[in-house]
Amino acid sequence: MGQKPRGPGRWPGLLLGAVAGGVVFGGALTVAQDALADDGRMQGRALVEERCSACHQKEADGSLHRIDHVRKTPEGWTMTLFRMRQFHGVALSDEEQRTLVRYFADRQGLAPEEAAPYRYVLERRPSVVEEPVTDGDLTVMCARCHSVARVGLQRRDEDEWRRLVNFHLGQWPTIEYSAQGRDRKWWEIASTEIPQTLGGKFPFRTDAWTSWQAAPKPDLSGRWAVAGHRAGIGSYGGTATVTKEATKDGDGYRIAYDLTDSAGKPLKGEGRSTVFTGYEWRGTGTLDGKPVREVFAASRDGSRLDGRWFLTQQDEVGGSLHAVRAGGADSTILGTSQSFLKAGSTARITLWGSGLDRGEVGFGPGVSAKILSRGPTSVTVEATAAADAVPGARSLTVGGAKSAGFAVYATLDSIRVEPDFTIARVGGNGGPVPPMTAQFEAVGYLNGPDSKPGTADDVRVGPMPASWSVEPFNDAAAQMEDVKFAGAMGSNGLFTPAGAGPNPQRQFGTNNIGDLKVVGTVIDGSATLTGTGRLISTVQRWNDPPIH
Amino acid sequence: MKTHANGVRPMRIRRSISHLGGLLAALLLAASPAAAKDYLLTGAKPDKLVLVDAAARKVERVLTIPGGGVAPGTIVPSSDGRIAYVVSNHMGSVSGIDLDSGKQVFRADFSTGDLRVRSLFGMDVSPDGKELYVFQAPVRMLPGEYRVEDTRIAVYSTADGVGAKPVRLLPAPRRVAVLAFSRDGGTLWALGWDLYGLDPKTGAVKETHKVLNWSRANHSPPDVLDIWPQFEQAATLSTPYFTARTDLAATDPGAFRTGLMTLDLATGRMDMRDFEDTSAVIFSSVVSPVKRTEAYSVYTQLTKIDTDGGKLVKRVDLPHTYYSINVSSDGKEVYVGGTACDIGVYGTDTLDRVGQVEIAGCPDQGIASLRVIRR
Ligand code: HEC
Ligand code: HEC
Repeated sequence: MGQKPRGPGRWPGLLLGAVAGGVVFGGALTVAQDALADDGRMQGRALVEERCSACHQKEADGSLHRIDHVRKTPEGWTMTLFRMRQFHGVALSDEEQRTLVRYFADRQGLAPEEAAPYRYVLERRPSVVEEPVTDGDLTVMCARCHSVARVGLQRRDEDEWRRLVNFHLGQWPTIEYSAQGRDRKWWEIASTEIPQTLGGKFPFRTDAWTSWQAAPKPDLSGRWAVAGHRAGIGSYGGTATVTKEATKDGDGYRIAYDLTDSAGKPLKGEGRSTVFTGYEWRGTGTLDGKPVREVFAASRDGSRLDGRWFLTQQDEVGGSLHAVRAGGADSTILGTSQSFLKAGSTARITLWGSGLDRGEVGFGPGVSAKILSRGPTSVTVEATAAADAVPGARSLTVGGAKSAGFAVYATLDSIRVEPDFTIARVGGNGGPVPPMTAQFEAVGYLNGPDSKPGTADDVRVGPMPASWSVEPFNDAAAQMEDVKFAGAMGSNGLFTPAGAGPNPQRQFGTNNIGDLKVVGTVIDGSATLTGTGRLISTVQRWNDPPIH
Repeated sequence: MKTHANGVRPMRIRRSISHLGGLLAALLLAASPAAAKDYLLTGAKPDKLVLVDAAARKVERVLTIPGGGVAPGTIVPSSDGRIAYVVSNHMGSVSGIDLDSGKQVFRADFSTGDLRVRSLFGMDVSPDGKELYVFQAPVRMLPGEYRVEDTRIAVYSTADGVGAKPVRLLPAPRRVAVLAFSRDGGTLWALGWDLYGLDPKTGAVKETHKVLNWSRANHSPPDVLDIWPQFEQAATLSTPYFTARTDLAATDPGAFRTGLMTLDLATGRMDMRDFEDTSAVIFSSVVSPVKRTEAYSVYTQLTKIDTDGGKLVKRVDLPHTYYSINVSSDGKEVYVGGTACDIGVYGTDTLDRVGQVEIAGCPDQGIASLRVIRR
C-alpha cells in the first residue's frame, strides 16, 4: 500500500519524486504532490481516525477494518461516504467529505487501465448497453439494480466482496424475492461463488495499481488542442488553456475553451477542475453559456485528455472531448467538422488537432483540398471530390499526422439510427424530476467490400440531415397508443418525453411510458433511405447516484 | 414493571371474553349463516388497518397501528375474527389490533441487541389461535459490517400480549413468502422455492411439493412470487406461476405459459396446472369457496380461471393495477385491493364491476394483505 500515515518529515520523498519526474520525462511532468496536497492528506488521515475508527476498528496489522481494504473511483468513495452519513449517522460536513474523497481516491483509487473499461458510467453516457458479464452470471446476479460498471470500478479481495454482499442483503432483504433473485438461490450464490469470482477478477492488489502509485503524476497545465462531437448538433474543435490552481485539497486547474463548431461559430467555455488519483479530471464550468460538468481521464504520460462533458442539469445532453498537447513536435488530427464528402461535391471542412500548421493536407486520391486558413490547431480547406472519386473509407493526412474515420461516397447504401436502442424518461409535470430526453442521429453507411448492409465491414460515412418519426414498437405499444402519449420527436432527432405521473386518458391510467420505433429518413439524391432504432421511454429515476 | 402488570390482566380478561365471543359466533354461524357477514381487512399507508363491511361497501372502522412505520404489510386475522395481526414498523414488528376496541393487544418487536430482524411476508396463526408464526430474516449488525444470518420462523404465544418474545425459533428455508396452516393445524405450509410442509413444533420439513424444482419435461423452472395470503375462504392456497417451454422458439405463441398452483389446506393435495399462453401479468389469485374449481386472479386485469380444466374463462380490464384479491363467502363477489385507495367489487359470474369502497383520504394500500373475516 502507498502512503502510510506520515508525520511532517516527508520532504525527502517529495524531493525524490520531483527529481525523478524531472529527469525521466524531461520537464513535461512534475509530481502532483506539493505541500498543500500533503496537508490535505494529513487532514484526511486525521479525519479518518477521528470520524471513522469508532465503528471501523484497527486490525492486528494496524489497518482500519474495511476502510483500508477497498479501492474505488472518486465517485465510488463519494457514494460510500454519503452512505456513512445517511445510513450510519457519521458526522461529516460537505467540505470534510470532499477532503476525504480526495484523500481516499489518491490513496486507494483505480489505476488508469483499471478504470478504462468502465469509463462510460463515470462519463454518464446515456445510451450504453453493457455487455453481459457471464463470469459467475455476474450480470444477472449483480447488475439488475445498477450497472456492472459499479462493480467493475472497485477492487477488493474475496472477504471484502463477501462483506459487500452481506451489506446488500442485510440492507435490501427483498433481493431474494424480486425477479432474477427468486429464480435462483441468490444468497447462496452471492455469498460464495460471487466473492470468489470477483476476488479473482478485481482483487485489491494489482500490478497496475502498484505501478501507478509509483509513477509520477502528470501536470496537466498548458495549451491543448481539442475536438469533440455532440450528437444532433455536430462536431467542434479548437484549443483549451489549462492553468494550475492550487486548492487546499490538492491539485486543481482552471480551463478556458476557445472552440468553434462545425459551421465556424465560436463556442466559449471555462471551468475549474480537481484531478483525483493523478488522472481523473472532474470539472465544472460553462460551455456556450450553459452550466456543464466534465469527466476526463488524463493518459498516464499526461499527453492526452479524453472524456465527456455534459449539462449539469441534464446529463444525457453532452459531447465527447479529446485533447492533445498543442505546440509539441508531433502532428495529430483529433477531429473534423464533417466526416464525409460526396463524390462530385465541394465542402468547406475544418480539421482540428495539433501541429497542423505544417505539411501537406491530403484527402486521398480523387479529392483536392485548397487551404483556406491554417494554424497550429486547425486547418480549414475547401475540399472537392471528383465525380469518379472512389467511394470508401480513407485516411486524412496533415504532414505526418494521419486520421481514419473519413469517407467519400457517391450514394449511401444504408442508414442506421444511432443509438439503435436507448431510453428516455418521463419527468416534469410538476414533479421534482426533470424529463430525460433522447438524441438520435441518422448515420449514413456504405456496404463495404461484402456489398451487404449491416455487416462488420460497413463503412460509416457520418450523421446526415434527416426527418424523424416514431411508430409503435410492437402490438402492445400500438394498443396502448404509445405514439400518442409517450412524447414528441423533434425535427433534429431529439425525443422529448411527455409529463410524469398517471395519465387518466390512458388505459389503466398508466404513466406516459412507451415503447417506440424511431425512424430516421434521409434523402440522398433521388433515393430515400430509412433507418430504425428503438426507444423505451420509461419512468423517472428517483435517485441519481454518481455511479448508476 | 408497573405498566406491564397493569396491562396484562385486563387484556387476559378481554381475551377470554373474546374467545368466548368467537366460540359463540362460530356456534351461531352453524345455526344461521345469515347472522355473520363478510368483512374485509386491508392496510393503508402509513399505519392504518381498515375494516370494511363488504356488502354495505363501506369502511366500518380505520384503526391505527402504534409505531406503524410507513406501510402495513401482511395481515392475519385471528381465528375468531376479533384480532388482526399486522406486520408494520418497516417489517420489524407485528401488532395484534383488537378490531372492536382498536387497542393494540399484542406486539412483538423482532430485533434484539445487534440482531436486526425483519419479517418477510410469511405469517399465519395456528387454527387454535394460540400461536403466531412469523417468517424472519435476521442480520447481525456488527461494527462496520453487516452479517446475514439464517432465516427462521419465530413462534409467538398470542397470549403473551404486548412485548411478546418468541417461544420457539424454527429453522426455515430462505425466501419463504407465504405461511399457511393446514386445516387441522398439523402442518405449517411454507411457500418458497418449493412448497414445504413443516412440523409446527420443530420446523422439520415433513414433506415437499416441488415447485421451482419440478421435473416437468421441456419447461423452465416456474417463476412464482406471491406474498399475498388469500387462502382463508376456500382453505386453498393458490398462486400464479409462469414458465417457458424450452422446446419451443421464444416467438412461438405457446412458448410462455401461465398456470395456477393450488394447495388444498384440508387434504394437502397440491396441483400445478397451466391455463393460458402467457398474455398478462398476474400478481395474485384466490379460489372460490363455493365453486372450488374456479379461481380469480388480479393485476391490471381480473381473470376467471377454470382450475380443473386449465382454462381461462374470462378476463376484463381493471381501471388500474391491483395486487390483492379475495372472495366473498357465498362465492358471488371478488374484491380487488392493494396498490391504491379503493377496493373494487366484481361479480364472479360476469366479472362486471358491481361496486367499490374508497378509503377516505385516499391512502395507498401498497402490498398490504386483503383478508376476509366473518363477524
Ligand atoms: C456509526 C458507525 C460507522 C462509522 C462512524 C463509519 N462507518 Fe463505515 N461502515 C459502517 C457500517 C455499519 C458498514 C457496513 C454497512 C455498509 O456498507 O453500509 C460500513 C462500511 C464501510 C465501508 C465498506 C463499504 C464498501 O462495501 O465498500 C467503508 C469503505 C466505510 N464504511 C468507510 C467509512 C469511513 C471512511 C468512515 C469515516 C468517515 C466511516 N466508514 C465511518 C459503519 C460506520
Ligand atoms: C437489489 C438491487 C441490487 C442488487 C441485486 C445488487 N446491488 Fe449493488 N448496490 C445496490 C444499491 C442500491 C447500492 C447503493 C448503496 C448506497 O446507497 O451506497 C449498491 C452499491 C453497490 C456497490 C458500491 C458500494 C460502495 O459502498 O462502494 C457495489 C460495488 C455493488 N453494489 C456491487 C454489487 C454486487 C457485487 C452485486 C451482486 C452480488 C450487487 N451489487 C447486487 C443495489 C443492488
